[in-house]
Amino acid sequence: MAGLFDRFAPLMGQRDALFGDSGVNPFSVKMDRVLSQTEAMIEGRRTILVGTNNYLGLTFAPEALKAAHDALEASGTGTTGSRMANGTYSCHKGLEDTLCDFFGKEHAMVFSTGFLANIGILSTLMGPDDYIVMDADCHASIYDGVRGGSAQIIRFKHNDAADLDKRLARLADKPGNKLIVIEGIYSMLGDKAPLAEIVAVKKKYENVYLLSDEAHSLGVLGKYGRGLPEEVGCEDDVDFIVGTFSKSVGTVGGFCVSNHPDFETLRLVCRAYIFTASLPPSVVASATVNLGLVKNGGALRKRLMRNAQQLHAGLTAIGLKVASENSPVVAVVAPDPQVAVAFWRGLIEAGVYVNLALPPATPYGYSLLRASLCAAHTEEQLNKVIAIFAQVAAKVGLAAPVEHKRSAVG
Amino acid sequence: MNDSGPEPSADTLAALFEILKSFNKTGAELSPGTRFTEDLNFDSLVVMEFIAVVEDSFDISVPLNILPDVATIKDLAIAVEKIVAADK
Ligand SMILES: Cc1ncc(COP(=O)(O)O)c(C=O)c1O
Repeated sequence: MAGLFDRFAPLMGQRDALFGDSGVNPFSVKMDRVLSQTEAMIEGRRTILVGTNNYLGLTFAPEALKAAHDALEASGTGTTGSRMANGTYSCHKGLEDTLCDFFGKEHAMVFSTGFLANIGILSTLMGPDDYIVMDADCHASIYDGVRGGSAQIIRFKHNDAADLDKRLARLADKPGNKLIVIEGIYSMLGDKAPLAEIVAVKKKYENVYLLSDEAHSLGVLGKYGRGLPEEVGCEDDVDFIVGTFSKSVGTVGGFCVSNHPDFETLRLVCRAYIFTASLPPSVVASATVNLGLVKNGGALRKRLMRNAQQLHAGLTAIGLKVASENSPVVAVVAPDPQVAVAFWRGLIEAGVYVNLALPPATPYGYSLLRASLCAAHTEEQLNKVIAIFAQVAAKVGLAAPVEHKRSAVG
Repeated sequence: MNDSGPEPSADTLAALFEILKSFNKTGAELSPGTRFTEDLNFDSLVVMEFIAVVEDSFDISVPLNILPDVATIKDLAIAVEKIVAADK
């Protein structure tokens, strides 16, 4: 008889081969003390954090801290119930109203995480006669969401509107509804969806809806931080926006907003909404306050993009291959997983924290050192990060040790 | 492997063999019983590219939903024929 975990043996074997049994690895590394939005103590070292998705640096916003403290004192540490049962407080309704205002939409539903928002919405919205046409590089929660539903699932090539067009054309004679699923900014490489082209394709066909997961673009793109649809100027063409509070909003939770007149039906049928505990009031208070800061965060967005440009330019200048330009995600492509692991370890040991991302979790089978910027990073911090990248790159044989020139931006 | 039930037509199998030539990196012999994962070493990226070519050549949509039930070339041929028939 096979052991319970036998089928994971190849995976564990790969992990052991990559990481051995000594030295830090991403599964065991922990932040012993968080010092600020951009620094933490890791293994006794003061470490610059360049992989937190804390794009606007709102995790310590004084207004949100105060609101969270007040909510904690007033309403306790948790709701001990689901939205459907005893877990809807007026603050949850208030947060949904805030989301409606923020996006200029009629309806909003708050979930306990962004992952659950995708699971809930994507497993429910489309039925057995319907089709979900999703970008192949979508997040795990989107894959799990669509797999948990009954619709037929079709993938189109990442960011390829022509391929999407071809797939919708093939489905044009089928009677069911179709839902296109994309992300505003893709998490691994930080590249944006070609939204204007996707909307143009959508408009060629009947009964086609569009859902965009704005997890990484909320707060980052658009004058008021409403994400890629705001930046592109096509908010009315995106029928459903899913998002998370766990990145630029600086806390935890997920949501979906829409103008669809029957949207409220989802509260009765979305199992990931009905059968899980609602967010604690302190988290709801943080999210509510931080959404206001996101909306008025034009200065933070400028700093974020300036920081992104500085890091991108600095890493490119030392000869590293960096995936996307003008993105708060700066992903360095390593030639193979072994080099990526050595690089990641070297960075951690020198006091720089980034994300190690390996296939199959990455597009194109890339091995990535994924950095994400924060508006609160200083120019000095990023100069130091770039200098450390240069040292470690040379050590792992990836780039010549070039004297880092101060970058022109910032 | 699917040993009972419907048999795919020789034409469908031949078309799949033809497509598979450029995806056959292991040099495994192609027969109806050839398995995508074990014999051809297909990973999720290759599956995606391969299915896209199958979709184009038969002008059909192959939903992700059916892939867990497709282990061999014969399984895929049967699935493709079902989709082609349903599209008529
Ligand atoms: C695109 C995308 N969607 C959803 C999520 C899940 O968000 P959350 O952390 O709120 O579960 C993430 C992040 O992990 C993401 O990158």
